[in-house]
Amino acid sequence: MTQGAHTAAGNTPAAAAVDPLLDVDGVTLQYKTKEHLITATYRVGFKVYPADRFVLLGPSGCGKSTLLKGVAGYLKPVEGNMRLKGVDIKEPGPDRVMVFQEFDQLLPWKTVKENITFALMNGGRCKTQSEANDIAMEYIKKVKLDRFEDTYPHMLSGGMKQRVSIARGMAMEPDILLMDEPFAALDALTRLQMQEELLQLWEDTHFTVLFVTHSIEEALIVGSRILVLSPHPGQVKAELNAHHLTHASTGDPEFGELKTKIHNMLFADRILEDELAAAAAEAEG
Amino acid sequence: MSTLPQTVVRPEFDAGDLSEASHGDVARKLSLWEKLVDMDGVRKLTILIALMMAWEIYTRLSGVSEYILPKFSDTAVALYDAVLNDQLLIMIKNSMTVLLTGYAIGLVIATLLTTAAIMTRFGSDVLSTLTAMLNPLPAIALLPLALLWFGLGSSSVVFTLLHSVIWPVALNAHTGFMGVSETQRMVGRNYGLKGVSYVTKLLIPAAFPSILMGLKVGWAYAWRTLIAAELVFGGAIADTSGTQSGGLGWFVFANQMDLRIPYVFAGLFTVILVGVLVESLIFSTIESRTVRRWGMQSS
Repeated sequence: MTQGAHTAAGNTPAAAAVDPLLDVDGVTLQYKTKEHLITATYRVGFKVYPADRFVLLGPSGCGKSTLLKGVAGYLKPVEGNMRLKGVDIKEPGPDRVMVFQEFDQLLPWKTVKENITFALMNGGRCKTQSEANDIAMEYIKKVKLDRFEDTYPHMLSGGMKQRVSIARGMAMEPDILLMDEPFAALDALTRLQMQEELLQLWEDTHFTVLFVTHSIEEALIVGSRILVLSPHPGQVKAELNAHHLTHASTGDPEFGELKTKIHNMLFADRILEDELAAAAAEAEG
Repeated sequence: MSTLPQTVVRPEFDAGDLSEASHGDVARKLSLWEKLVDMDGVRKLTILIALMMAWEIYTRLSGVSEYILPKFSDTAVALYDAVLNDQLLIMIKNSMTVLLTGYAIGLVIATLLTTAAIMTRFGSDVLSTLTAMLNPLPAIALLPLALLWFGLGSSSVVFTLLHSVIWPVALNAHTGFMGVSETQRMVGRNYGLKGVSYVTKLLIPAAFPSILMGLKVGWAYAWRTLIAAELVFGGAIADTSGTQSGGLGWFVFANQMDLRIPYVFAGLFTVILVGVLVESLIFSTIESRTVRRWGMQSS
C-alpha cells in the first residue's frame, strides 16, 4: 500500500460537499449494573463520513464500547440522537454489522462458510443459498482463509476467528462496519498483521468503519480520524486526523508527536493530580 | 561481594536455511499394538472379559450355591433361552413402549415449562421452585399415589416416568438458555433475527449442549424408574393387560419368585445392555455429530 493512496483517499471530505453517514449528536448513554446506574457517555457528538476509518479512542471507562453498542442499536440514548443516513437508529440491524472482541461471536455449530452464509441469508442480503455461498467464498479468500471454509470455529486460532468475523461483517456489506476492539485479545504479532490486513481490505472497497480501541498506536495506524474521549463519563476531548499515518510511518517524528499529544490529552488530568499531590507534599515538608 | 549471576554475552549466530531437515522421523506410523491400546472399545472389552472370567472361575472354585450366585456360563445360557422361549424380546418392547410414551409426554411438558421460564420471570421462579422441590423426590416414591389416582396399568407407570423426565430436562434446558453468551445473542440480533427464528436459529443451537445433557439425564432416570416400577407393580400390570408378558422388571421379579436365579441375572444383564445400547448408539452418536464436532463439549 502506498502512502499516496492513503493521503488521497483518506482525506475527510468537506462537510458541505458530502452528507455524513452517521450523525451522533449530544448522546448521553446510561446502563444499569446490579447496584448503580452508570452514565457511560455524556453529550457526545461526532460525524462519520463515507470511507472514514473513524476511531473512538479512550481509556477504559470512557464509554467507547457503550457508544458503539448504542450505534449498533443495542442501547437507547437517554438524550441526544443517532442517525444513520438521516434515519434514527432504533434497533440492531444488518445495515450496521458489529465485529466483537470476543472469539465466541462465531456460531460454534456452523463452519466458517456457514457462519457467513447464515449471516447473509438472515441479514437479507442473499435470497438463495448458492448466491450466499459464492459471496462467502469471495470474502473467505479475501481474508486468506480458503482451505478453512469447512472448518468449525473451535479449530481456528484467535486471529483466524477474528478474520472470519471481519469477513462476515464485510460480506454483509453494511453501511458501516462497527469494530469493538477486535484485535485486543490477540497476541502482539498477530495484532500487527491484522491491522495491516484490515488496511489492505479497506484499500479494496473503502468501506466505512467505526473502530473502538484503547491503544493510541492502533488508533493512529488504523484510523483516518480519531475521536479522543475522556473517562467517567465519556466526553469528547478532541477530534484529530490520522489518515496519513500507517505502519510505515511509526518511525516518523510526526507519528511520535501525535502519539505524545494524544497521550498527554488522555493523561492530562492524572498529571495535574500528580503535580498537585507533589506540591502538597512539598508544602508540608 | 556480589553474588548475583551475571549475563554471559555469547556470539550471535544465524542458522540460515533450514530446509534440509533429515534427522529422524517427523511423523511415524503407529504400530498395530499402539493402535489397539489407543482404542477405547478394545480396552473396555478386555476389562469385561476379565470380569466374566473372574466370575466364572470364582463360582466354579468356591462352590457357592447356584441360588446365590449362578455361574456366568449358566447366566449366558439362561439369557439365550429367555430370548428364544420366554419372550424376552417382547418384554423389552413392552418396557420400551411405556418408556417412550412417558419420555415423549415428559418432553412436551418440559418444553412448555422451559418456554414459560424463559419468557417471564414468574415462569422462571415457578420452574426453579418446582425443580428444587420435586427433583430430590425419587420418582418411584410416587408410584403408590399414582396407583391410587390412575389404577393398575401402564398409565400409573407413565405418570411416574413423567416425574423423572420433566425436571432434569427442563432444568438443563433452562440453564442452557440462560447461559447463551451475550455476544452470541447480540450477533443474532445484529442479523435481524427476532421472535421464533431467533429462538430456533440461535438460542436452541447455542443451548444445545445443555439440552442434550438434560435429554440424556432424563432418559437415564426414566429407565431406572421404569425397571423399578415394573419390579414392584409389573406383575399387576401384566395381569390386567390380559397377556402373560410384562416388562423387563417383571421378568426379573417373576423369575426370582420361581427361584430361576440364572434368569434373574440374565434379566439384569438385559437391563444393563439396553441402557448401554441407548446411551452408546443413540446419545453418543448425537453427541459426536453435534456438540463434540462443534467443540462445544470437551472429551
